[in-house]
Amino acid sequence: MTRALLLAIALLIALPCAAAEKGDAEAGKFKVYTCAGCHGIVGWHNAYPNYHVPKIGGQNYDYLVAALNAYKKGERSHPTMRAQGESLSDEDIRDIATYLSGLTPAP
Amino acid sequence: MIDTNRMSEMKRLTTPLALAALILAGPAFAKGDIDAGKAKAVPCQACHGADGNAGIDPQYPRLAGQYADYLARALHEYKTGERKNPIMSGFATTLSEKDIEDLSAYFASLPGSKLTDLHGHIEGE
Repeated sequence: MTRALLLAIALLIALPCAAAEKGDAEAGKFKVYTCAGCHGIVGWHNAYPNYHVPKIGGQNYDYLVAALNAYKKGERSHPTMRAQGESLSDEDIRDIATYLSGLTPAP
Repeated sequence: MIDTNRMSEMKRLTTPLALAALILAGPAFAKGDIDAGKAKAVPCQACHGADGNAGIDPQYPRLAGQYADYLARALHEYKTGERKNPIMSGFATTLSEKDIEDLSAYFASLPGSKLTDLHGHIEGE
């Protein structure tokens, strides 16, 4: 009984840590310099196809990692983002996603 | 014999009219119905949250306050298979053009957005 309880507690502590293995926000802040060319201008549009470049500050960490990996692997078709994704290592992606997900909108 | 005066008169009238039509048609086509979108958004809430902020599971993106035309673009890409995601392509294939516009307008309109552009968040700014 006690052992089962201890195991349960250990799992409760260990699982979120494993899931939340994030990158370095400080490194990410430096690495998002390129992103700002398009994502840093309020209301900026893609040249073609024409739509707003999405807001990525404050977006969820896991989703950002998945999106960047999908661009990198060509599972998402945007040419500029594919080129960006291909230039990023797994560590870069974790750092960038950590920094971006920590941003909050200006009050 | 072509009456050049009449021709130029017609051009004078039709050019501004055509321009006005283009300007008016742009937003009219792009604009979805927020209320209709709200009614259609119930299945989305399971993953993206009732408030559109996807606060339960970070693998799903926050949608509240995202640009409507970007959301519409993403839904189109899921629908055509340009973006590959088993869950989203399942939903997107069932959506009409009108559904996509309405849903995008609804999520873009939600208050309490946690999303932001990178303006003011970059080193050296």
